[in-house]
Order: sequence, then structure tokens, then C-alpha cells
Amino acid sequence: MADFFLLFVLTLDSTLRLATPLVLAALAGLFAERSGVIDISLEGKMLGSAFVAAATATATGSAWLGLLAGILASVALAMLHGFACITHRGNQVVSGLAINMLMAGLTVTLGNAFYGQGGQTPPLPDEARFLELVWPGAETFSRVPLLGTLYAELLSGHNILVYGAFLTVPLTWWVVYRTRFGLRLRAVGENPAAVDTAGISVTHLRYLAMLCCGVLCGIAGAYLSTAQNAAFGRDMTAGQGYIALAAMIFGKWRPVPAMLACLLFGFLDAAAARLQGVHLPLTGEIPVQLFQALPYILTVVLLAGFMGTAVAPKASGTPYIKDR
Amino acid sequence: MSETPAKLPVWVDLILIPLINLAMALAVSGLIVLAIGESPLEALDFMLTGAFGYDQALGYTLYYTTNFIFTGLAVAVAFHAGLFNIGGEGQAYIGGLGLGLVCLAFDQSLPFFLILPLAIVASAAFGAAWAFVPAYLQAYRGSHIVITTIMFNFIASALMVYLLVNVLIEPGQMSPQTRAFAASGQLPYVHEALAWIGIEVAPSPLNLSILWALVCCFLVWIFIWRTRWGYELRAVGLNAAAAGYAGISSRRMILLAMGVSGALAGFVALNELMGVQHRIMIDFTAGYGFTGIAVSLMGRNHPVGIVMASLLFGVLYQGGSELAFEVPRINRDVVVVIQGLVILFSGALAYMFTPYIEALYLRFARPSMAAE
Amino acid sequence: MLKYLLTIGMMLGLAMGPAQAADLEPAVVFDMGGKFDKSFNEGVFNGVEKFRKETGIKYREFEVTNTTQREQALRRMAQRGADPVLGVGFAQGPALEKVAKEYPNVRFTIIDSVVDLPNVQSVIFKEHEGSFLVGVLAAEASKTGKVGFVGGMDIPLIRRFACGYVQGVKRVNPDAEVFQNMTGSTPAAWNNPTKGSELAKSQFDRGADVVYAAAGGTGIGVYQAAKDAGKLAIGVDSNQNYLHPGTMLTSMLKRVDVAAYSAFKGAKDGTWKPGIRNLGLAENGVGWALDEHNKDLVSAKMIESVDRASKDIVAGHIKVHDYMADNSCPF
Repeated sequence: MADFFLLFVLTLDSTLRLATPLVLAALAGLFAERSGVIDISLEGKMLGSAFVAAATATATGSAWLGLLAGILASVALAMLHGFACITHRGNQVVSGLAINMLMAGLTVTLGNAFYGQGGQTPPLPDEARFLELVWPGAETFSRVPLLGTLYAELLSGHNILVYGAFLTVPLTWWVVYRTRFGLRLRAVGENPAAVDTAGISVTHLRYLAMLCCGVLCGIAGAYLSTAQNAAFGRDMTAGQGYIALAAMIFGKWRPVPAMLACLLFGFLDAAAARLQGVHLPLTGEIPVQLFQALPYILTVVLLAGFMGTAVAPKASGTPYIKDR
Repeated sequence: MSETPAKLPVWVDLILIPLINLAMALAVSGLIVLAIGESPLEALDFMLTGAFGYDQALGYTLYYTTNFIFTGLAVAVAFHAGLFNIGGEGQAYIGGLGLGLVCLAFDQSLPFFLILPLAIVASAAFGAAWAFVPAYLQAYRGSHIVITTIMFNFIASALMVYLLVNVLIEPGQMSPQTRAFAASGQLPYVHEALAWIGIEVAPSPLNLSILWALVCCFLVWIFIWRTRWGYELRAVGLNAAAAGYAGISSRRMILLAMGVSGALAGFVALNELMGVQHRIMIDFTAGYGFTGIAVSLMGRNHPVGIVMASLLFGVLYQGGSELAFEVPRINRDVVVVIQGLVILFSGALAYMFTPYIEALYLRFARPSMAAE
Repeated sequence: MLKYLLTIGMMLGLAMGPAQAADLEPAVVFDMGGKFDKSFNEGVFNGVEKFRKETGIKYREFEVTNTTQREQALRRMAQRGADPVLGVGFAQGPALEKVAKEYPNVRFTIIDSVVDLPNVQSVIFKEHEGSFLVGVLAAEASKTGKVGFVGGMDIPLIRRFACGYVQGVKRVNPDAEVFQNMTGSTPAAWNNPTKGSELAKSQFDRGADVVYAAAGGTGIGVYQAAKDAGKLAIGVDSNQNYLHPGTMLTSMLKRVDVAAYSAFKGAKDGTWKPGIRNLGLAENGVGWALDEHNKDLVSAKMIESVDRASKDIVAGHIKVHDYMADNSCPF
């Protein structure tokens, strides 16, 4: 029993690690969509940031400088998306696709040109990574049953970006629901004309939202290459940007439910690794593919209105044209 | 969708602006090529030679083009109904399942001329069915079709992997793929067809599905611009509310548009599986569904434009791999970058230069117009 | 075009003098993992690079990105007058068979697949024998009696690695527990370090203290996880000991580098022969790596144990089960 409990806690521990980039990217998508900009380039921004963060950390030996550079890269891509979709009223989905494709190629091309390793960056030494922080007394507490295990295995022993990601959730909630910027943000996604009439620039607001989006994706990308792993590798986001998008929708464009959705999807992933090849009572062996598809199936079911209604911000996806 | 300034003549809008956008994409690509220490002009030369230089190259170019025509048309039909079908990838994948099942079931018993229509129907039906669910959810439950089709791409991928790994795999095979279709389940290659009439060309994967692609272009043109359905579909795309007052059911039109769209995407399997691979394989769609979006946008959702844009992407794919072949320092990833830039400039930033060109045009053209 | 070829010709000429140089134009087609996968393709790359450095003969190369390109690249090589042409990986088997039929005068070598044609040399390896040896080492090194295996794509070839490994572990410690995970069932599974790292961590959570990865680029994540957790890891295909000295217990060597090198070298010296080369321990086609990076981890007792096993396999006293012989693993 104690063994089983420990395994369960360790699965939850793994869930936190896996959910961290999803939480950050889902919140990033939330800012964009709340302002009325569909952003399917979460994937590309994470990838770009992961590469730049790893390359910078390699060059400077500092994970923090890597994080900063990753954020800058991601923000630059967010601004490109804004430039195409807000300023030039280009198609948001196409712009997102273009950024994803561009980053898939450019990161590997530059990586190859810099390091000649097929797009990989050299492995980072421990000093240039975000390492696990062991909380005080974790060692002693771990002997206390239940609570001690929870403290030592689940709460302690993550890197700072994991804690940061989960702190970002209440912060985002506060920004979106308790600040003037948040009020305007929500308004501009629902009815940009009204915001415009009130004398507030729609363009300005949407660029600000994209800035938030870029910063969060940047942290998510840096997490992938300098905390979770110790190098950048080709296509290392592996579709997590899209899972985050699904999580954001699953959370109905709200921060806390989006985080819960990320935890659920992260848990599915963690459980899949542990249930592989295990014959369960009743169901037998569950195909891995089912676990992989479940986040998307759940999101579609939710969107279909079978789990409450999910309504997107009304203006999301449509460029705002002032003179009409 | 796009508010094209009425002041510009058609040729500026349809030819000049796309060319300028393309040139921009190529210019930025050139800078990247330059940055990694190669000559952009030489690269362009290799690319064009690699795409058109000899008959086999042309064959490969047109083979890629065939895929893009199908996926481009698929996106365009949905677009005319105001829908963004980003699920071409999944629809093509599932279309391949339908086609593959037909070929595997009947290739021992039926002759080619019976299997071909069955395969066409099956790929269309499976592709349409996969598009139908997001369409239904959009029409009746208000789910955003962009999101649901993205999700359906991933679900299709997981489903196909499951089926290929656990059900359809050829025993003893390493890769998850089915057994090869027998000869009656294979589309003839163009070089074979030409050999029948005594013309020798080098072998390439180009097969007769390209003819079906061109037929589809024509059928789509008829459907969109010459039938009542097409008219209603465009009416819904332009203004669903107004179309509703005119007695057109937007729900029915959403289902129709997505059904046709999914069927067209499903035809990719005709080229890829029945034409070239002769078996169902993992990931045979290789991103063609996504590229179809760019193709459709560049081609302004018109079959003629789509053929031209498909050819462009065919050149990028084939010329790009030849480029990687010739210049070792330019590898496959640079080609992905170029494709991304083309999509960025021709799709997302398509109207960036319009105001400037408009201004230029007005400055230089107006005096002459005034003179008339 | 012509100018380009001439330039190449001149460069080749300058590099190594006239005679046989112009005659031999070797070419290699890497598969989707890419030549820097730190593992299988990279082994081939090292082999052909060694050939180039020794002989000064340049080779053509290509990395495929989609399934159609395999055939296209092999055919383009043959068309350009390349000879011999080296195909890398089982996935190129069908494409190489087709092209080899079209160009009966070109010599082809394929690694990890068998193509039965008079102008094709097929090189396959007894990966189960090498995996058995590292299994012995893993069991000797393990303190918990629990070890792990992380595979890349779930295919019979990788199960063959896993089965040999399990057999080797059980040979030393019949009560040992071996956790097995496959990263996925598509080619993407060769290149997913994050997943590899999570799988390794899940095995460490269950008590494993040595993990063997046969997963291409995914292995990088496995090794990093082992290093972070202070456990031991075993590399694959190439010698990966240098990646994390102190963590890498050893590497299961699959001498694709030798196979690639000797395909080119044999063609140059006129000793290249078609047919199947099945390389096992006896032929030095597989083995385990001991170098300055892992010598502190491998005790004299472990060396003795693994050497004994090695001799027994070569002598036929130990039969290592080949998963692909009957698609099952009795262990």
C-alpha cells in the first residue's frame, strides 16, 4: 500500500514536470485569445525560445541569461505574429502556421551552422541549467508517512521554473480579472468596436496581449531546453504547443481551469509512461495511442457542448478594422 | 475575407502582388542562405534546375504538385463557405485508410478498372466522414472549426498509428505499414502510360492521379461557380445571416462544404498510396494538408490559382531536395525555412505591400487615365 | 552544372592524386534520424568520415526527410555515377531493392536490412548478443536488483535488443527485475529526449539504478535523467561513454561504423562482396565499450564476468535468444 502510494505520488511529481510547459503556454494562449488573436504558433514560439535559451546558456554559462534570451526570441516572434495579424490584418491561422514552420526549420539550420551537430546544442553543464531545489528538511520529513512523502517527493525537488509556472496562474487570474488592463483585454476580445469607441486603442491592447503571450511562451521554451532537458534538440516541443492550446480551450479560456486541464493532460502523459505494457484489471492493456489522443478527444467532447458550454471570445480570429 | 481595394486592376491584385510577396520570401531566404555561407543565386539555380532541368525532375515536381492541388482545393472549398479547414492533414490520412482498405480487400479479386472507382469513392468517403464531425459540431453545437480540425488531426494520427501497429501491420515488418497492394491496386505511373504510346521518359513517382487532380479542379470550379449549391455556399461564406434571410440553411452548407473539402483532401491517398507507396504507411501525408492552406491562399481560392500555387510548392519541395543534394551545407531544414517564409509573406503578410502598390499605381496610372 | 562537377573533380584530384580516385565515387544516404543522432546514423557517419580521412576520397551524402525521398536519393546517387551506394537503416530496404534492380552495375550496401540481389551487400547485426553483454554488466552494477530498458520505436529490432538484455541480466541475477518501456510507435520515437527522460525517471522511481537505452536521439534524455538522478546508464550503437563520464556504465557497440567503413574500403580495394554479412560477437560486429570515461565504473570482477559470457557466446555455450527469430521473448 505504502509502495503504491509512493508510486502514485511520484506519478503526480512527474505530472508537475510535464504540465509546467503546458501551463505556461496555455496561459500565453489565453492572453492572445482573450484579446481576440488566435495563436496557434505557441509551438513555434516555444521551439524558438528553447533553441535561443540553450544556445545562450551554452555561450554564457548562465541559465538566467538563457531564459532572458529565450523570452526575447519568443517576444520577437509574438510581435511578428502581431505585425501580421494586428497591423496588416493577415490571417491569424496562416501566420501561426508560418511561424511554426519557420521555427522548425530555422532552429535546426542555425544550430547546425553554430555547432555542426544536426541542430542539437551541446549538452549544458549543471551550472548552466535550472536545477532541482530541495526544500529544507525534505530528507528528514520524507520518513513521515503520507504528508512527509508528499512534502519530500511532490512539493520539494523541482526547479524554479516549475514553481514559477504555477505562481503565474494566480498572477494571470489577477491580471485578467482584477486590473484595468485585464478588463480592457477581455473587452477587446469580445467587442473591439466598443473598446475603440471608448477611446482605447485596440491595436495597442492586442500588442500588449501578444507581449504577455511571448513572455510566457519564452519561459516555457527555456524550461524545455535548460531545465527539463540539458540541450536543445530538433522539434523538441513535439506538439506541446497544440496540447496547451487544447488545454486552454478545455479550461474555457480561464486561467485556473486551464491549469487544471494542463495537469490532467500532464497526468495522462505521466500515467501513460507508467502503464505501458501493464495489464489492468477489466480493461486489459490500454493502447498508448489512446493516452496520446485523449487530450484532443476530451477537448472536442467539451467543445461539442457535452461538458458545459465553451464559448470563445467573440472577436477572436477576426482582425479589427477601425473604419467600419 | 480579404478586402481588396477596388481601385486596383485585376492583374495587379492577382499577379503582381503575389509575385512581390514571393520575391520577398525568396529575398529573406537568400539572406539566410548567405548567412550560412552559400551563394543565394547559385542556390536558386540549383533549385530551378532540380525542379525543371530534366524529365525526371519535372516528374517529381508534378508529383508533389498533385498533392498540393488536392489539399489546396480542399481548403478553398471550405473557405468559400467561410470555414477554415485546417484538418486536411487528418482527412487525407483517414482517406488513405479508406483507400487502403479497398485495395487490400479487393486487389486479389477485382481488376484495376473496378478497384479504381471504389478506391476513389472510399478515399473521398473516409476523408469526408473525418471532416463531417467537426462540421457537424460547428453547425449544430457552435464549436470553433479551426480548433476541432486541429484536434482531429492529432486524433487521426493516433488512430492510424494504433491501426497500423496493432491491426494492419504486415507480419514480420519493422515499420508499421501494410502489405503492398497487388498490381491491380496500383495506379499506373505517367512514365508507364507514356511508354504505352511509345514515349520514353525517365521513371518518376508521377502517376495518373494528376489527371484526377485536374478533373477535380474543373469539378470544383463548376461546383462553386456554376451550381446552385455553390452559389448558396458562397452566400453563406459572404454573410451567413443574410443568406439565412434568403432561405439558405447555413448549417446544411457547412456540412456540404466540409464534406466536399474532406473528400478532396482524401484524394491525397490516391497519389501517395495507390500511386507511389502501394501500401498504407505511417505519416504518408507528410504535412501536405498544412501546405494546402498556403496553396489555397496564394491561389486566391480559385482552381487556376491553386494549380499555379501547387506548382510553386512542387518546385520548392523537389527543387529544395535537389538543392540539399547539391550543396551539403544547405540541408533539409533550410528548405523548411523557405517554405515557412513563403507562407508568411504570401499568406499572413499578403496585404503588407498593397497600400504602397496602390499609392504607386495611383500616382503613375492616374495621369494616364486622366489623359484618356 | 558542368562547372560545378568540374570543380568537384578538380578538388578531388588535388586532394589525392589522379588514378583510382576518380573511379570511386562512394555515396551514403542517411535516414530520418539524421547523421548527428549520436547513435545509429552517426555511427555510419563516423565510419565514412574515417574512410574519407584515410583515403582522401570524398563521398556524396543525403539525409532523407520523407518516405519518397529514400528512393529518390538512392536513385539520384546511382544516376550520378556513385558507386558504392550505402543505404542506412531497415526503412531503406524496399527503396534500395527497387533502385538496385534498376542499376545492376552499381554496388549497394544496406545496413540493418536484407536485400537479396546480386549487386547488394546486406549487413545485419546480432544486436541481441551485444545487448546480452551489457545486460550482464547492468546486473553486476545494479545494487537494487532492478534495471531498466528504454527503447525507441516499438519494432521487432528494438525488442531484439531488449530481449538479449533481459537474458543477460537474468544470467547474472535470475531474480532481477527489468522494467521495459518503448518511447512510441512512430519514427518520432527516435527523437524525443523529453519522453526518454520521463520514462527513465519512471523506472528510477520504481527502483531501477541502471538503464539501457536503445532509442536513437531519445537516449540523450535518458542519459541526462540518469545523470541528474545519480544512476547509471548504458549507451547504444556508437560509443556514448564520453557523453557523461561517471554516469555511462558502458555502451553496447554495434559496429555500423566498421560496416560503413568496410563497405567503402572494400569497394576501393576490390574486396567488396555481395550477400549477407551477419555480424555478431564472433565477428566483432557487436561488443561493449571500455575506455577512459567509464573505467572507474567497471570493476575487474565485472570485466571478468562479461568476458566469460562473451567467450561462452562465441563458443556456443550460451545461446542468446533472437527475438526476431520467432517474434517472442521467453524471458
